[in-house]
Amino acid sequence: MSDAMNIAKAVSKQEAWSRPQWLQQWQQAGLDRFRETPWPTRKTEHWKYTPLKSLTGIDWSLPEPKTSVADGIRFDDWNAIRLNIVNGELQNPGDLPTGVSLVRLSECNQEQAERFLAALEASRNDFLFDTANQAFIQDAYWLNVDPNTQVQQALHLNYVTDGDDVLSSSQIWINLGVGAQVTVVETFSAGEQGRCLVNANTAITLADNARMTHYHLMLEEGDAHHIGRVTAELQRSAYLDSFHVGIGGVLKRKDIRVRHCGEGAELRLNGVYLPKGAEIIDYHTCIEHEVPHCTSEEIFRGIISDSAKAVFNGRIHIHKDAQKSLAEMNNRNLLLSDQAEIDTKPELEIYADDVKCAHGATIARLDDTQLFYFQARGISRAEAEVMLSFGFINELLDSLQDEAVQNLLRPLLATLFAHQRSELTRHLL
Amino acid sequence: MSEEVKQYIKSEYEAGFTTNVESATIPPGLNEDVIRLISAKKQEPEWLLEWRLKAYRAWEQMEEPDWAHVTYPKPDFQALSYYSSPKSMEENRPKSLDEVDPELLATYEKLGIPVHEQEVLAGVAVDMVFDSVSVGTTFRQKLKDAGVIFCPISEAVHEYPELVKKYLGSVVPQRDNYYAALNSAVFSDGSFVYIPKGVRCPMELSTYFRINEAKTGQFERTLIIADESSHVSYLEGCTAPMRDENQLHAAVVELVALDDAEIKYSTVQNWYPGDAEGKGGIYNFVTKRGIAHTRSKISWTQVETGSAVTWKYPSCILKGDDSIGEFYSVALTSNHQQADTGTKMIHLGKNTRSTIISKGISAMKSENTYRGLVRMNPGASGARNFTQCDSLLIGDQSGAHTFPYIESKNPSAVVEHEATTSKVSDDQMFLCQQRGIDPEKAVSMIVNGFCKEVFKELPMEFAVEAGKLLEVSLEGAVG
Amino acid sequence: MLSIKDLHANVEEKSILKGLSLDIKPGEVHAIMGPNGAGKSTLGNVLAGREGYSVTGGSVQFNNEALLDLDAEERARKGLFLAFQYPVEIPGVSNMEFLKASVDAVREANGQEPYSSVDFIKLAREKCKAVNLPADFLKRGVNEGFSGGEKKRNELLQMMLLEPTLCILDETDSGLDIDALQVVADGVNALRSPERSFIVVTHYQRLLDYIVPDYVHVLADGKIVKSGGKELALELEKDGYRWIAGESA
Repeated sequence: MSDAMNIAKAVSKQEAWSRPQWLQQWQQAGLDRFRETPWPTRKTEHWKYTPLKSLTGIDWSLPEPKTSVADGIRFDDWNAIRLNIVNGELQNPGDLPTGVSLVRLSECNQEQAERFLAALEASRNDFLFDTANQAFIQDAYWLNVDPNTQVQQALHLNYVTDGDDVLSSSQIWINLGVGAQVTVVETFSAGEQGRCLVNANTAITLADNARMTHYHLMLEEGDAHHIGRVTAELQRSAYLDSFHVGIGGVLKRKDIRVRHCGEGAELRLNGVYLPKGAEIIDYHTCIEHEVPHCTSEEIFRGIISDSAKAVFNGRIHIHKDAQKSLAEMNNRNLLLSDQAEIDTKPELEIYADDVKCAHGATIARLDDTQLFYFQARGISRAEAEVMLSFGFINELLDSLQDEAVQNLLRPLLATLFAHQRSELTRHLL
Repeated sequence: MSEEVKQYIKSEYEAGFTTNVESATIPPGLNEDVIRLISAKKQEPEWLLEWRLKAYRAWEQMEEPDWAHVTYPKPDFQALSYYSSPKSMEENRPKSLDEVDPELLATYEKLGIPVHEQEVLAGVAVDMVFDSVSVGTTFRQKLKDAGVIFCPISEAVHEYPELVKKYLGSVVPQRDNYYAALNSAVFSDGSFVYIPKGVRCPMELSTYFRINEAKTGQFERTLIIADESSHVSYLEGCTAPMRDENQLHAAVVELVALDDAEIKYSTVQNWYPGDAEGKGGIYNFVTKRGIAHTRSKISWTQVETGSAVTWKYPSCILKGDDSIGEFYSVALTSNHQQADTGTKMIHLGKNTRSTIISKGISAMKSENTYRGLVRMNPGASGARNFTQCDSLLIGDQSGAHTFPYIESKNPSAVVEHEATTSKVSDDQMFLCQQRGIDPEKAVSMIVNGFCKEVFKELPMEFAVEAGKLLEVSLEGAVG
Repeated sequence: MLSIKDLHANVEEKSILKGLSLDIKPGEVHAIMGPNGAGKSTLGNVLAGREGYSVTGGSVQFNNEALLDLDAEERARKGLFLAFQYPVEIPGVSNMEFLKASVDAVREANGQEPYSSVDFIKLAREKCKAVNLPADFLKRGVNEGFSGGEKKRNELLQMMLLEPTLCILDETDSGLDIDALQVVADGVNALRSPERSFIVVTHYQRLLDYIVPDYVHVLADGKIVKSGGKELALELEKDGYRWIAGESA
């Protein structure tokens, strides 16, 4: 790649790490590929709408090791197990529930390492930042749920980044055995000060009949960038409910790819993005129906304020012979300002005939008729705008399984539209 | 599928005959001398030669686009001939239709084109383009009486140089894209239309393009200018003989609708699609674009059944406030055909409106892609777009794809996009069969129903024609 | 309480109201009838202050204040209530959130303490029962997926909670079956009082069997062309609106 991103400092730090030789080689391979991969430009189809200028011209380094447990995101009234991942490094986890285990890549035996790396290999794409992730992760973590284990407590992966001009990379593999069931919440936050690039990858594999509820909340504010991917592979009759939130920061880009690999697999993929100020938030999703009889339902909604920009690219790909696929995708957007911009690209690529597929996309501002209804009932225009904006995404929040997550997100998202004026959100909270 | 059926399908391309006339074809190859030769043959003014050369030099620097969802061996541009004309048109150029070689006119008659003004379809004026030249245009006098100019563009260069100079390349610049640049360098004939202020063109205008000669490409160029408050409806049709090698057709169409004008542009594209094995057929790489000024309207309707590979996005630049753009499309692919087609609606002016209705039908082993762009620029306050893309799959070997790009920078602009995919359902088929309708007829009825919204936009005679064309193209796709 | 003088109004540059005058005293019920396109709905929207309806002449005094100078929400807070012909659906905003926001805003503007959440829920549930809406209704999105009858009852519920002094019912009978009409009419009648006035806009006489007006006005081509007592409605029912053209010409 070009010298667009200056990583010399990061490389010299990485080289000084002590780790097994095979791991060092694997990371070196990632670094080599990073250097070979061209820097995305506007002509690179997958980055067409997402300028990466804010990543250039910076001497990127790696964060100092942290011993203290940063606070990050906390859920009220929820008996969730909290795993803190600070600057990409997992802090001492407490006791895990029966049937749940956590393996560090650096501590794998040969057999484990082979399986782990194979899983990571299967989840990757030819994506520049994927190679950077491989090169700069401190370690990778394999969260395993044994077959037929129903984990009662939710697992909260609390990612925190702290440091200036640092690359904070993480890689987790969540593997559910046959019939296993778990809820995993991934929250991302960053310290108030300092520029960072969070490069976070999540790989999910669900064996037959496994069920997972997944939340992926990119909540970093300030001078934070976040780029990464979520991949999932669903085997026979597996079910994944994955919910995404993108707010804050300078630039956020998440590539979500779900593969239906076993018949009868079911996916619900929803999300909201709410860029404000000069933020850029970009979700690329791709759902692969590789076998017959699978179902996908996808809804993403965005509200773009100020001079912010959002990008949504949602692809549904029905492979040859994936008959009886049902796939629906919907993307709706509100533009709240003259300077705001949205680029959306809902795509269908279909190679089987006996399928039901549809997508829809809309772009508009707040509805005049709805605003008048509020005003005709004495509610001020400003409060009506906040309530309507929030209502637009609240339809998705309402459908979340876990009240604790709703309780975290509601005030956080509602205040975004009110510019910190609490009197405008008082009827929402 | 039995040999008989295959044979049957193959024979169904009714326009696949060849006309035996002696042609003057320049040797294959492309360089500046060839461009000078083409220009000299047409006795073009110096400025136009320079214009062509500029385009050629730009083209040389460009790369063939590869983003479309189509695969084909890249054409060898040096193996093609860029100019071919029947000899009878070269020497003693005929001064009227009566003097044209009857063999040429017979070609058009055989294709069902009215070449004599007294014929039934008398409401349509026709310009007949044969390889690189126009062989004749009907109703010129009648149109002239109304102030309408309808003639081959090579003639317009001489007769109306000011208009041509002003508008040629004004909508599709020479270096717009690879094929547009190629066309700008070597374009041969096409139609030129000018409708004066306030005139409603008294009849339908149409151009019929025919490729006849082997190893040539056709590079027509069409320019339509509708002056203020005028109205015109224009239709183009096209066919080519069946040949085992691929032939290239790279056209450019430019439309200019000045204030309050309306242009309706319809296409029935039936280039030879290749045989059941995917051998032969036309590569149809076309750039069509219109610019709509204040309160004007540009409406594209296309029925695409032919060509081996189609790459085509008739577009509207909605520059003037309150201007309207429309795109109605039926694209049917069968056998090994590939189509990547759609539109661009660029909203610049206030309260501009656009509608996109696209119906894609994929049968056999074909690939059918809708690709469209809707862009709301910062100035497009109150603009609206509605897009509906539906795909119908027939059989499990084909592909149907939808790739819309939607961009908005104006909060008061409203964009709505919907797409669906379905197949001809067993229930529909059973109902028809139970009522005694044979499967092929049933499919063509269902497909016709699926396309209704688009067909109703076509001029009457052509709607019937388009329906028949679909039926023929679908032969052998079921059962 | 309401005095409309020579009101002219446009919608999208088209003149709809062309010199409408009307006086309403406290406690009175005025029915406004007229053919389609006469400007009936426009009157309600203009009085409520909807954007896109521009007043080009005339004046409106509401409780001795110039109504037309006020924003839509200010008019609502001062006691003007428009019951919509087609109440809009607002998914994602619950009825409870919406009602509380509305009642708080109106009470606040009138110097009253806002209700506590507990009190308000109690009150809202009570009113729900009164208009025969199920209790889970409060959790649902505003008008989301409601039947025509439920939407109208929701309007009535809001009217009860806001206790306005002037209620404008815009074609409240449209899309209602006879039972639903009865429920809405009973609710409206229960709200009648010496301080509260009503403008009942309707195309059909049917509604006026249930909500009996003090006065009936015929609106045609943007003006009131005939006024009378409630018997005028019966005449209209019998003769239709066709005679108007002849008489007003």
